[in-house]
Amino acid sequence: MAAVAPTPARVVSPGFLSRLEAWPTVASFIVLVGGWELLGRSLNQPFFPPLSSVLNELAINQAEIMAALGTSLTNLVLGFIVSVVFGVGLGLLMGAFRKLDAALDIYINALLTAPSLVFAPIFFAIWGLERWSIVAVIFMYSTWIMVVNTVTAVHTVPPEMLEMGRAFNAPRIKTWTRIVLPSATPLIMAGIRLATGRAVKGMLNGEMFIAIVGLGKLVKDGSGRFDASLVLAILVVIIVVAFIALWVVGWVDARLTRWLPKTSR
Amino acid sequence: MIEIKGVSKAFPGRKGSEPVQALKDVDLIVRDNEFLTVLGPSGCGKTTLLRVIAGLVPHDTGEVLVDGKPVTGPGPERAMVFQSFALMPWDNVLTNVAFGLEMQGVDKKTRELKALELIEMVGLGGFEKRLPGELSGGMQQRVGLARALAVSPKVLLMDEPFGALDEQTRRLLQEELLRIWEATRTTVVFITHSMEEAVLLGDRVVLMRPRPGRIDQILDIPMARPRSTHLDSVESSGEFTAMVGLLWSNLRAMHSDVRRARQAGQAAATKP
Ligand SMILES: Nc1ncnc2c1ncn2[C@@H]1O[C@H](COP(=O)(O)OP(=O)(O)O)[C@@H](O)[C@H]1O
Ligand SMILES: [Mg+2]
Repeated sequence: MAAVAPTPARVVSPGFLSRLEAWPTVASFIVLVGGWELLGRSLNQPFFPPLSSVLNELAINQAEIMAALGTSLTNLVLGFIVSVVFGVGLGLLMGAFRKLDAALDIYINALLTAPSLVFAPIFFAIWGLERWSIVAVIFMYSTWIMVVNTVTAVHTVPPEMLEMGRAFNAPRIKTWTRIVLPSATPLIMAGIRLATGRAVKGMLNGEMFIAIVGLGKLVKDGSGRFDASLVLAILVVIIVVAFIALWVVGWVDARLTRWLPKTSR
Repeated sequence: MIEIKGVSKAFPGRKGSEPVQALKDVDLIVRDNEFLTVLGPSGCGKTTLLRVIAGLVPHDTGEVLVDGKPVTGPGPERAMVFQSFALMPWDNVLTNVAFGLEMQGVDKKTRELKALELIEMVGLGGFEKRLPGELSGGMQQRVGLARALAVSPKVLLMDEPFGALDEQTRRLLQEELLRIWEATRTTVVFITHSMEEAVLLGDRVVLMRPRPGRIDQILDIPMARPRSTHLDSVESSGEFTAMVGLLWSNLRAMHSDVRRARQAGQAAATKP
């Protein structure tokens, strides 16, 4: 007796679907851009320039902004990589060893809620104006949420999956590579997504308040001169950076969790 | 042969409450090549009994022997089929079916050949590259069955394997399982809460009762084999109806005993 194939879901061209789903985003974007331009022009105040003059500012300072962007992105990537490795690593260890979890849990939660910038003087004392001060700030901003998510991810592996592994005599290492890690991946990736936004914030704060470099320096300079156009121009750049970073993480996430049913993505 | 002698198992109760006696003084022998079904109301320790045989939980007293050797943990001669299927959603059918062999360190080529053979046997030929999420419940449990059979176990342990399936799918899988079993005659311990299923599939039915979980009685099912070729006439036979009727009268008596015991308990508790 042969099994019957489940009826395939009605096929909708993905291009059409995404265009259909994207319309609220497109509409809100148009309203925002148009609103900004109109409001800026009608207010005619130096503190709220219209979008066109912000973009103009961006073009004028292009070389300076690109150089700053290079510095900032290097900081961001370095800080983020260190955070992911440490955050997910520590989370996995805490997930594996209950005692370690019990010992560290409250401190991780304290660090998660503490305003990360309070550690700035310490980093400044250690590294001064070096890049590592900023990397450390990014680390403080983005690591702890990944630890917390990873621990939860390991603890919420369905018990019946672990029992299945035991029933088939899975060695400990195989239990981890074949059951725990794949099962924990969606939640770990969700933590990494959250950490991405925090890392961008950490980068900017580090650059504005500790070692004054990169985009943070430009924001600080701009606000010192009450140059709203420059500050908003940098803001636009930072938003674009954050979007690209999130897109990259989302891309990796989608590759790793292809097996998830579409509705729970 | 599986010998279960004087096995008891208690679980610690929730905070403050008494421990739960999931199994008390269970004696049971599962013969080689027999299809044994275990029936009883929920909470009577069926799953615990199966997990003890599987070596997934330690028992407090007594002994469990498989071919004379005491069970100290899971072993390759026993394979389990789960009610919730417990398939790995990130792996395709082929990898899922090969999982047991993979854990035994069998090389990829050999285990995939074996897995393909089993996929064919459970009627899933052509579906080996699909993910579990793309399959219906019935097809998923076929994968679960193939995964268990792939390790060539001496004993197949099945915990309400068709309990999560709809009526029609369940019928098809019962037929399929009987067909496979009648061809292979692997020893099976099959847990169910369906009287009809217990009679249809089993050589013997173990009837369990709750609080504490223990064996009430063991009944022989005298119906001839093979049954898979004419399930409908088996089900309409007088023997079948009589067996189900007998099981039902026992279960009903068990329920009224439980109710009486509970009322007696309440009466005692409300006395000043
Ligand atoms: N891991 C466990 N911890 C605590 N109590 C348990 C556990 N497993 C089973 N029990 C209890 O043991 C009793 C028998 O359970 P179980 O074997 O699952 O019964 P059945 O499968 O017949 O429904 C129930 O009262 C259940 O609550
Ligand atoms: Mg059960």
